[in-house]
Amino acid sequence: MLPFSVTQVGSWPRSRELLRALRDRQQGRLSRAEFERVADGETRRCVEAQLAAGVDIVVDGEQRRDNFYSFITDKLDGTRLMSLAEMLDTVEDKAAFEEMLDTLDVPASAIRNPTCTGKLARREPLAVDDLRFVQQLTDKPVKVTLPGPYLLTRSMWVGAFTRGAYPDKTAMGDDVVGILRQELNELAAAGAAFVQFDEPVLTEIVMGEDCERRTFM
Amino acid sequence: MRTGLHVCRGNWSRREDVLLSGDYAHLLPAFAAMRVRQFVLEYATPRAGDIAVVGQALADREIGLGVVNPRTAAVETPVEIIARVEAALRWYRPGQVALNPDCGFGCFAHRCVNDHETATAKLGAMAAAARELRQRQG
Repeated sequence: MLPFSVTQVGSWPRSRELLRALRDRQQGRLSRAEFERVADGETRRCVEAQLAAGVDIVVDGEQRRDNFYSFITDKLDGTRLMSLAEMLDTVEDKAAFEEMLDTLDVPASAIRNPTCTGKLARREPLAVDDLRFVQQLTDKPVKVTLPGPYLLTRSMWVGAFTRGAYPDKTAMGDDVVGILRQELNELAAAGAAFVQFDEPVLTEIVMGEDCERRTFM
Repeated sequence: MRTGLHVCRGNWSRREDVLLSGDYAHLLPAFAAMRVRQFVLEYATPRAGDIAVVGQALADREIGLGVVNPRTAAVETPVEIIARVEAALRWYRPGQVALNPDCGFGCFAHRCVNDHETATAKLGAMAAAARELRQRQG
């Protein structure tokens, strides 16, 4: 690796135009082609900013993603994008969950979860198309970010919705791993320089007890 | 192709007091067992603990060193960034160190933690620090 390679963890701020397009797309008011046109423009702007700033390894800024793990609902059968507010209905101790969201400053309506509602199958690649788009914009190495297998298994399993499709979390997790493995192989074949798996909640496992609280993922 | 693992303490709010705290000590056995080349970790806030914890145990891997806080309006100076890198150079060779923010600037589309201009300035500060560090290496 070039010493002190400058890069990013992955996501970039969204413009108002992109947020509007994302909302319209999610509510079925915007075609996929129209959404991609807006997202292409925003991705280009993000890549240009990185190149002008002098980064060594470029990312796409996750401009097409609702969030860094929920976006898989655009790509996988057997999933549904669900706001935390919707998920509240399935939580046993609703008051405690709401209090946790409030204490942690988590906006329940703005954060969405990729809930597993059926047998998982990859309808299209998770990130190969995003990689190819950035490769058209620069010759620099490209980093691709994917949600890790633990984060996905933990967040996608929502008993009330998932039990009909899988007997337990482990069985669903095996399919998650299979999907990520296939993606990793295809990203390698497509020339990705770097694939980063995001596992932010690992810290909660070891630090949550000290903090006497759980987060929402 | 390089594979990496990113772990942080939350990035959904600009309120540092609601995000998690603690070093990576308890995760070291899990990290050591993983076949990834780079650990992309937070080090721009005191909440992440000392670099020695991971540096001592995993000096055979690369470190994606978090050197700027993605959630603040203030842009770190190259001098501040270089100081964080120098702490890592006690454990890692220059070719093992990448510079990155602690996390994304907008992990949740509707809850981005920064704006385009500030994020761009933070990247510029990291690039300036990297140029200076490479010059020093000769």
